[in-house]
Amino acid sequence: MMTRDLLALGPMLITAGGAVVLLLALAVCRSHAFASAWSVLVLAAALAAIPMTWPGAPASGDLLNLLAIDSWALAFWGIIFGSALVVCLLGFEYFRPLAVQAEEFYVLVLLSATGAAVLAAADHFATVFLGLELLSVSLFALAAYRRDQAISIEAGIKYLVLAGTSSALLLFGLALLYFHTASLRLSGLAGPLLAGHPDTIALYAGIALVLVAMGFKLGLAPMHVWTPDVYQGSPAPVSALVGSVSKAGAMAFMVRLAGVTLTGTPGVRNGVFYGLLVLAIASMFTGNLLALRQPNIKRLLAYSSIAHMGYCLLAVLPMAAGAALDRQAVFYYMLAHAVSILGAFGCVCAASENGREAQHVEDYRGLAWRRPVLAGVFSLMLLSLAGIPLTAGFLGKFYVLASGVRNALWLPAVCLVINSGIGLFYYLRVLGTLYQREEAESPDQFATSTAPSALLQPSPQLLLTHLTLAALVVLLIYFGLMPALASLPM
Amino acid sequence: MNIPAGHVMIVAAVLLATGLFGVIVRRNIVLVLMSLEIMLNAAALAFVAGGSARGADGQVMFLLILTLAAAEVSVGLALVLQLYRRFKTLDVSAAASMKG
Repeated sequence: MMTRDLLALGPMLITAGGAVVLLLALAVCRSHAFASAWSVLVLAAALAAIPMTWPGAPASGDLLNLLAIDSWALAFWGIIFGSALVVCLLGFEYFRPLAVQAEEFYVLVLLSATGAAVLAAADHFATVFLGLELLSVSLFALAAYRRDQAISIEAGIKYLVLAGTSSALLLFGLALLYFHTASLRLSGLAGPLLAGHPDTIALYAGIALVLVAMGFKLGLAPMHVWTPDVYQGSPAPVSALVGSVSKAGAMAFMVRLAGVTLTGTPGVRNGVFYGLLVLAIASMFTGNLLALRQPNIKRLLAYSSIAHMGYCLLAVLPMAAGAALDRQAVFYYMLAHAVSILGAFGCVCAASENGREAQHVEDYRGLAWRRPVLAGVFSLMLLSLAGIPLTAGFLGKFYVLASGVRNALWLPAVCLVINSGIGLFYYLRVLGTLYQREEAESPDQFATSTAPSALLQPSPQLLLTHLTLAALVVLLIYFGLMPALASLPM
Repeated sequence: MNIPAGHVMIVAAVLLATGLFGVIVRRNIVLVLMSLEIMLNAAALAFVAGGSARGADGQVMFLLILTLAAAEVSVGLALVLQLYRRFKTLDVSAAASMKG
């Protein structure tokens, strides 16, 4: 271990160390404000350490065997730590009025961000497994964090059983690959696949199991069934975390995997290519069609994120070694998706009162007349998810589509265009609800405290949430107008 | 007597299928967690088989899997406790309210 190794690992060491220090500090004194301030500080320090590591400081052999800390990994660490920072900010005012002890939430967020960061840089089967498990185990606990609610426990159990199954399948796949290639390195896969290994079927079976596990983490159809339940049952900041941090880490690894398993020659396609193609098209259609008539806003966002991961796979398909433009497209898409989904769940947090989440689309009817600014922010996030120009979502979709067209992937490109049309329908449906005037309510409806009008009164206690949303709007417009980050060398 | 590594892989595959079957058909959450353990151990066995043929790396992976499976199951058991407190049953189908 040398100094430059420590420097290269810097951001990850900061979050891992920050989580341990926080856990020890909580044993001495429990304070919600301290826990959230500390985790925000730790994540900000990790973000600040990324540019210092940036040139991709060539690490020594020990580190290179396990992790590839290149510009690709560092760019995704930016998304991961930034999203975790936003989740901590949203979590503070979400958990403050609740009766649950909120301090461990921040420890788990730091740990899951560390896990996603390990996964994004993983180049060895051991780190793939460690990163994925660190992420998953933190997410079980986070999904079930609101013990006062039955659906939160249900979400935790569903995620536990399905994520446990998928990580067992991943491990068996890795074991098959190890058995047949005698290498635990991810990059050790490329040679045997190209050279026509005698046990090609076993190799493909191993890769298929790994793809199933990563497809599960990304929520790709047909491994998507957990997504809506976990998004709905988890506390809103945790749903935001699942949608941004966990997806960014898994997508970064998916691109590395595709880079070594797809063939580099244009026009030559192997089984992995067709597998990814089927996953992409199935996810686009499944996500969008199931979202069409969905009355629950959190489930709707879950289905929309299934479709979004399908779109993003379009830029993963041509991912042979050295395709820098396609890598930039994937990175920009994940960045735009993280900003939009964090913003959308941030609006759900802001619209929730006294521990009851505003989950139903009907809860948002006429929001624009009661809280015009929040409704404006929510509309902007939905427009970005739909891919309307001037938002980051549009540029992300544009780059992905450009990548598909450049590589002559006509079938998935056409599917993306069709699905963008279908997607527009349900985003506009929610958008329309926001701006509808409330009909005159019957008196008995007025009396109940759970009536939407009582639920969505502006509240002075949500200052931090509103500031976070304002920052996300600035980022959304900035990335939508100036795609400077898309030209990072990758 | 020497057992070929390939035979061990077959046993591991059978174990994995057994565990997967258990996860799918069992309704009791404790038995589901046990089936998950069987699946993880099947993968661990496959790594040991690989390690016996290809060098010590597989055994190291086995140790990692052992540790992480314990972590996963401890969080799982905490959730089992929550399930029992809330629903007074260990039947997972009690916690199936979300649909759509």
